[in-house]
Amino acid sequence: MTNQWIDIGHSDCIMIIGSNAAENHPISFKHILNAKEKGAKLISVDPRYTRTSSESDIYAPLRAGTDIPFIGAIIHYALSNDLVQRDYLLTHTNASFLVNPDFRLTEGLFGEIKGGAYTKNTWGFQKDASGIIKKDLSLENPDCVYQLLKKHFSRYDLDTVSKITGTPTDTLLKVAETFVGTHRPDKSGTIMYAMGATQHTYGTQNIRSYAILQLLMGNIGVAGGGINALRGESNVQGSTDHALLFHILPGYLKSPEVTDVDLDTYLKKCITKSEDPRSANWWGNYPKYITSLLKAFYGDHAVKENGYCFNYLPKRSANYSHIALFEAMSKGVIKGLIALGQNPAVGGPDGNIERNALANLDWMVAVDLFETETSAFWERPGVNPADIQTEVFLFPAASSVEKEGSISNSGRWAQWRYTAVDPPGDAKPDLWILDRIHKQLKKAYGEGGVFPEPITQLQWNYGDGEEPDPHAVAKEINGYFLKDVDFPDKKLSFKKGDLVPGFAFLKDDGSTASGNWLYCASYTGKGNMMARRTRSNPQDDPIGLNPEWAWCWPVNRRIIYNRASCDAYGNPWAPQKPVVRYDHAAKKWIGDVPDGPWPPLKNPDGSKNPDGKYSFIMTPEGFACLFAPTLTDGPFPEHYEPLESPVANLMSMQQNNPVIKIWRPDEIGDSDKYPIVATTYRVTEHWQAGAMTRNVPWLVELVPNAFMEISNDLATELDIADGDKVKVSTIRGSIEICALVTRRLQPLMVSGKKVHQVGLIWHFGYKGLATGESANMLTPHVGDANTMIPEFKAFLCNVEKVKGDIS
Amino acid sequence: MNNNDQMAFLYDSTKCMGCRGCQVACKQWHELPAEKTRFFAGGADSGYQNPIHLSEHTYTMITFHEVVEDGKLMDWAFWKTQCQHCLEPACASVCLVGAMHKTENGPVVWDSHKCIGCRYCMLACPFNIPKFEWKKVISDIRKCDFCADRIAEGLLPACAKTCATGAILFGKRGELIEIAKERLSKDPEKYYQHIYGLEEAGGTCVLNISNVPLKHLGYPDNVPMEPLEKNTQIDMAAISPAVIGLGAILGVTAFVINRRIELAKTKEKGGQNE
Repeated sequence: MTNQWIDIGHSDCIMIIGSNAAENHPISFKHILNAKEKGAKLISVDPRYTRTSSESDIYAPLRAGTDIPFIGAIIHYALSNDLVQRDYLLTHTNASFLVNPDFRLTEGLFGEIKGGAYTKNTWGFQKDASGIIKKDLSLENPDCVYQLLKKHFSRYDLDTVSKITGTPTDTLLKVAETFVGTHRPDKSGTIMYAMGATQHTYGTQNIRSYAILQLLMGNIGVAGGGINALRGESNVQGSTDHALLFHILPGYLKSPEVTDVDLDTYLKKCITKSEDPRSANWWGNYPKYITSLLKAFYGDHAVKENGYCFNYLPKRSANYSHIALFEAMSKGVIKGLIALGQNPAVGGPDGNIERNALANLDWMVAVDLFETETSAFWERPGVNPADIQTEVFLFPAASSVEKEGSISNSGRWAQWRYTAVDPPGDAKPDLWILDRIHKQLKKAYGEGGVFPEPITQLQWNYGDGEEPDPHAVAKEINGYFLKDVDFPDKKLSFKKGDLVPGFAFLKDDGSTASGNWLYCASYTGKGNMMARRTRSNPQDDPIGLNPEWAWCWPVNRRIIYNRASCDAYGNPWAPQKPVVRYDHAAKKWIGDVPDGPWPPLKNPDGSKNPDGKYSFIMTPEGFACLFAPTLTDGPFPEHYEPLESPVANLMSMQQNNPVIKIWRPDEIGDSDKYPIVATTYRVTEHWQAGAMTRNVPWLVELVPNAFMEISNDLATELDIADGDKVKVSTIRGSIEICALVTRRLQPLMVSGKKVHQVGLIWHFGYKGLATGESANMLTPHVGDANTMIPEFKAFLCNVEKVKGDIS
Repeated sequence: MNNNDQMAFLYDSTKCMGCRGCQVACKQWHELPAEKTRFFAGGADSGYQNPIHLSEHTYTMITFHEVVEDGKLMDWAFWKTQCQHCLEPACASVCLVGAMHKTENGPVVWDSHKCIGCRYCMLACPFNIPKFEWKKVISDIRKCDFCADRIAEGLLPACAKTCATGAILFGKRGELIEIAKERLSKDPEKYYQHIYGLEEAGGTCVLNISNVPLKHLGYPDNVPMEPLEKNTQIDMAAISPAVIGLGAILGVTAFVINRRIELAKTKEKGGQNE
């Protein structure tokens, strides 16, 4: 989230798209209803009318997978009516930047594609002789980003969009008029999204469309604004911060590839540069973070001469995302799997492929609270355990209330938790389990093996107790000074062993260690900042940032990009709900921790402040990207159809995202055999792959069976009554599930033809108190062009009635 | 205690998202077992609703309603059903043994030790709330008890505490009525202009407001606007005196007639001895 949960209460218009927040993030509705009480409008955009829609002022139905045209229509409305926050665009975004005049979109392609990737040779900016990007502050130059944006979105007029999404034009207009009202400086709108936005082959571009809309509205960095990703698992934010994903190192550093032959080569790739002295270019500090991380990993072994043990880090040679791993597992390449709190047999796409792949493993270690479908894959219905040679170890794990540590929420708050009850039986915290695995590996590698040093030289100073001390881990994540260090310009000195007070103090010379630069300042000489629980006084904290409740990254900054909440003089656009403001007399920012301490660009008399720096410090240029050249599939979002779609792409000849990897070209269903659009989702009553809820009697009582929601229209056509068993099939497989007939789904008119949609909950599997078939047996093994997140949310199926009752 | 000071709920269906946290919190607090359920067992349009009815194991539940107008879906609305905790409860007035009773600060509760399982209360309740432990040998009536034990300790009832959106407000009846009136007048387009429980059955401690008439959400629409016990009380109160009175009359009559028969027998005996 760029903003905060509580901050949603300050919004004037809340759009929930690709999310069903009432059902899956119910507590958020406390803040949404706070906003509504003050007159805010709630817009719910969803293929089906959900419990979120029941609270909304405007409900907009749409065909699953058509979010880019939907948002495109709103952007079109704003641009064609000039309802944008112009000052904001000039001060904080790259709207004025001049782009390479050869850049164009042709038949859905943003340029030349070679070897499955764009060459990106026209995706750059025009620069002057000193290397600074040329700008046109009148925003009239046809090469400027703003004009290119207008040209791009001129194609997303309401009538065209209605034909793609199926949303009636009057609804599109109502949504656009309502949301675009937030372009006014004193108004803010927020977009709340979740997997409905990301789980598509162009999921990243879905989010990009929100970014563009929000920047045009001037809604980034302000109270009640932002792009708010609603995270799922209670600590998924913490997991991604600490590099759960294959392509990053802790703190969103890049994971090294085979081409990064040494630290210097790697750094050349990672350090961003800007010729403009007014750009803070924060990633220019990259060397400090990677060096400190390597010192945390390898301690005294890591020295300048050996590139701080950079060569001990594994270098990836391919995409190692979930789908790629299971494709490799299918081919017998991967022999062992540690499934830590993971249940891919239910939660992974293309269930047949993934469940069969598990049988190729020599061994599996499943660490979980329950025996799940994954750890019991070898005895699932339809297989003979004797045919499967995988040795499965099931380690019982402690739940989150049975161990001490921190949990990071969607708002980036790291909140320390204590052990409430001891784990039952032999169940152990993950820290204990990983520690034991590490110690065994260290012992085994100590006796031989190929390239043992990356394991044997790992620093592991977490105490000598039965279990590693989570405080010791947290302190190492924060970071230490490894020798006495002085900072004369800050008039501060630190001793060896002191905790580093913030990432501004990390160094690239091996004198600091930090397990995650983003969390530097979370555990300092002042104590465990994450354990604080002081609520602020509304008088001192009008927008409820609560700076002394737990700790938030980065450096306790609650709303990121917050210097964009002010004009070039440091005055808030919305003085009634200020995030920060600049006190020119005191020469400092008041309010939230400013996103960069530098003063604003102008002095009160209008003269340039030479110390001022641009507000989006994490981009090389210092401006927010309307035009974003770093993504794999385009600097602007463009509509493509889901891999399986009932219609041809109305926007261009390019049917699908041109740079996605198609792992299984023979597994693409066509609309003759599979005419119905299907989507998958969750309900309040069950959790993810179901182990934690389908084993709780009170929750099983509420939702005892897996079900599919189907419109009255389609049910009548197929002679299906409420409660009937139906067979849902895709080219990948079929399941039997019970049908819930509802008016909350309606057929949509798409490209002149009637398109039906059905929705399946995916929480069910063959283990637990309540069992049922898994919807993910139907979903495709294909992912987003940037992140590889599977396209769970839009595919094609067929539905038939089955004789007999649900059991 | 003044009616306005009694503890009460205000349930605002427009703020309810049907998450059912309240339903589960109640089960957890009262350690009630889960029922074996089947999806759609309530028939068409019951949707996610489970269990289908309140029971001795389920004191409160959310019911699901697709509100349709001219064949079009207008809303998906929810209603929380539980004991209404009437100001003058019919169940308490018919209870032969005084097990069911209205406490001074609001909750209508029952004394398990006194309950004889006669189920008169089930017949008397206009909302069809009290449920019976059919499967137990020594059985008891069961219903929402307003978490009287929690309230006594200054805690919120379990459902109110869990509700994330404030759809369930807990407080003094008089204050909640003012809040309800304010909401209705501030948003006349949004709210159906009626506070259920204000006068129904003579007034209840559970007040309901919504955006559609509550009868579309399953609230019984034949509840009189006066306390039911007003009528039953008179009849019930008459039973004892009637029984005692009738008993007395029959007793006296029996005595007089028997006495005469006795006297007649004695006279006969006496004549024979001369």
